[in-house]
Amino acid sequence: MELLSNLALGLSVAASAGGLLYCLLGVTLGTLVGVLPGIGTMATLAMLLPITFHVEPNFALIMLAGIYYGAAYGGSIASILLNLPGTATSAVTGIDGYPMARKGQAGVALFITAIASCFGSMFGVVLLSLFSVPLARVALQFGPQEYFALMFLGLIAAALIGSGRAIRALVAVALGLALGLVGLDINSGVARFAFGMPEFYDGLPLVAVAIGLFGLPEIIANAGRVIKSTVQTSDISMRSMLPDRSQWRRSWGPMWRGSAIGSFFGALPGTGGVVATFISYATEKKLSRTPDEFGKGAIEGVVAPEAANNAAVQSAFIPTMSLGIPGDPVMAIMLGVMMVHGILPGPSVITDSPDLFWGLVVSFVIGNIFLLILNLPLIGIWVRILAIPYHLLFPVIVAFVCIGIYSINYQVMDIFVLLAFGFLGWGMKALNFEVAPLLLGFVLGPMMEENFRRALVVSNGEVSTFLTRPIAGVIMTIALLIIAWFVLKGLRDLALRLRRRDTENTNA
Amino acid sequence: MLEFIRTRREDLIAGLVTVGIGIFILTESFGYRLGTLRSMGPGYFPMLLAVAMCALGLILILTATPDKPSDGAAQFADKRGVLLVAAAFLAFALMIERTGMVPAIGAAVFLSALANRTTSWLTALILAAATAGTCWLLFSVLLGLQLRAFG
Repeated sequence: MELLSNLALGLSVAASAGGLLYCLLGVTLGTLVGVLPGIGTMATLAMLLPITFHVEPNFALIMLAGIYYGAAYGGSIASILLNLPGTATSAVTGIDGYPMARKGQAGVALFITAIASCFGSMFGVVLLSLFSVPLARVALQFGPQEYFALMFLGLIAAALIGSGRAIRALVAVALGLALGLVGLDINSGVARFAFGMPEFYDGLPLVAVAIGLFGLPEIIANAGRVIKSTVQTSDISMRSMLPDRSQWRRSWGPMWRGSAIGSFFGALPGTGGVVATFISYATEKKLSRTPDEFGKGAIEGVVAPEAANNAAVQSAFIPTMSLGIPGDPVMAIMLGVMMVHGILPGPSVITDSPDLFWGLVVSFVIGNIFLLILNLPLIGIWVRILAIPYHLLFPVIVAFVCIGIYSINYQVMDIFVLLAFGFLGWGMKALNFEVAPLLLGFVLGPMMEENFRRALVVSNGEVSTFLTRPIAGVIMTIALLIIAWFVLKGLRDLALRLRRRDTENTNA
Repeated sequence: MLEFIRTRREDLIAGLVTVGIGIFILTESFGYRLGTLRSMGPGYFPMLLAVAMCALGLILILTATPDKPSDGAAQFADKRGVLLVAAAFLAFALMIERTGMVPAIGAAVFLSALANRTTSWLTALILAAATAGTCWLLFSVLLGLQLRAFG
């Protein structure tokens, strides 16, 4: 019953004129940037931040969230038609989606993608509305030990799960934590790593850092590119889009499994959509009776990752809203926006501003219905947008990013920070480092240090406090088990390599 | 030995940079009060972090494997794009408080448009003027941001 009244409250926010307008605006813009390769969700969020400062926080979050899950829909369109993923999470969809398009089944692939996306999203929304409140209630009892343990697990998961280069990811996390140190130390008031610049006393500006790391390398990498559009728009009619009965039957299972896998990895701080798509694809391939078809246009290979991706996007809101711990860079920006509006992220958000939380939840449902309309009858528009010349588009993006970053604090220094982090992100890519773990470390760093210090004050300097409290202990044990598993795996690989070298030497 | 270094350049550079940053944070953190576990000063957490970074850097160096030809390298070859996009942001940063938004945006769009070889000077100029005008309409007139349009 409580849930019903909460949903009614949410409906009153999300179905108001403003709620509907910003939701529609968000999902439309989201689909647009998802469709266009070379403009990521992060850059879009930065471009649109100045607009959201003038809007009520409820509506600002509804719109920003709409961009996020709208991009998850749109990303698959470019992936299927051009084999050019519009977003990182839609890369897997192209493995089978593009072959389907080349077999003349582009319409079917796009249709089933929209259905799977909607299914996954709704699955995630249901979990979000069921689990957030109990989780927040538990989290209200959390002490600094539990918070530290959760963030530690999140960072370890971000670095080690789904990353091919575990040590490098750990280095990125550590570097992020270090960058998070910049600014005044809240306990002592000492300015750390600020190098005498008062602009840095509040810490490095989150949005400039995030856009520098993710958006700038993306813009630079695509600036010189000339895309030749080879999409045929004519062969995508409503009739050609409908899957036949056997295709429906084959899609049903992957939709459920993809949604479940996606929800799990989305809710786990640190991992997210990208990991979820890869794992759900691998799962379907393993379960399939005809694994040879994968990569050649198997519909399961399109359905499962799309359901997973969208479920992950929605369930990522569970830790963000109920614990105040962002699981991925986009969530970090969402929390940043909440703080700009004077809302302190954490378990009390759901009880203190239920209209914000439940309005967001209901707007997800409405937004996904909007997206079904945008992606089924109106698919032709998006396909045509793929033909916009990128070389005329990105200078405009540069302009909007400049104003977006500058208008947050009206500090020129923020633009220099953006540029510096652009080069950092670029250099890290050149040395095969991932930047997502860095940003996560940067966001969680100050919170982690504060909870670490507080926990040790409470426990009188006993480090074992992180293991002896039941909840913190369980979370820490999980994190340590993940570490142990990776150390063992690393040692095994090393042993294999040494043995191989020995046999080579004896042969030679 | 030289062969070892040459083929493993990527891991070795990454490891050395990591250790370098670790040492930098370590020396910097000694400038702050360290405190004790029971009551940590501002230098304690940075010190732990610095030690962890040095350790990770050493692991990277010790476990260095030969470089794989990476597909990432190709997109870094475009020097013109890098320089002009960077110049665009620099121009905006240097101009925004001196000349106001419209010229700053115009310069940023013009410079970044030239990052693509297929864009001509004239196209870049037109695009710059159009974008600056749109930004003025959108941000100054419609949204009323605290941005001076000119000077």
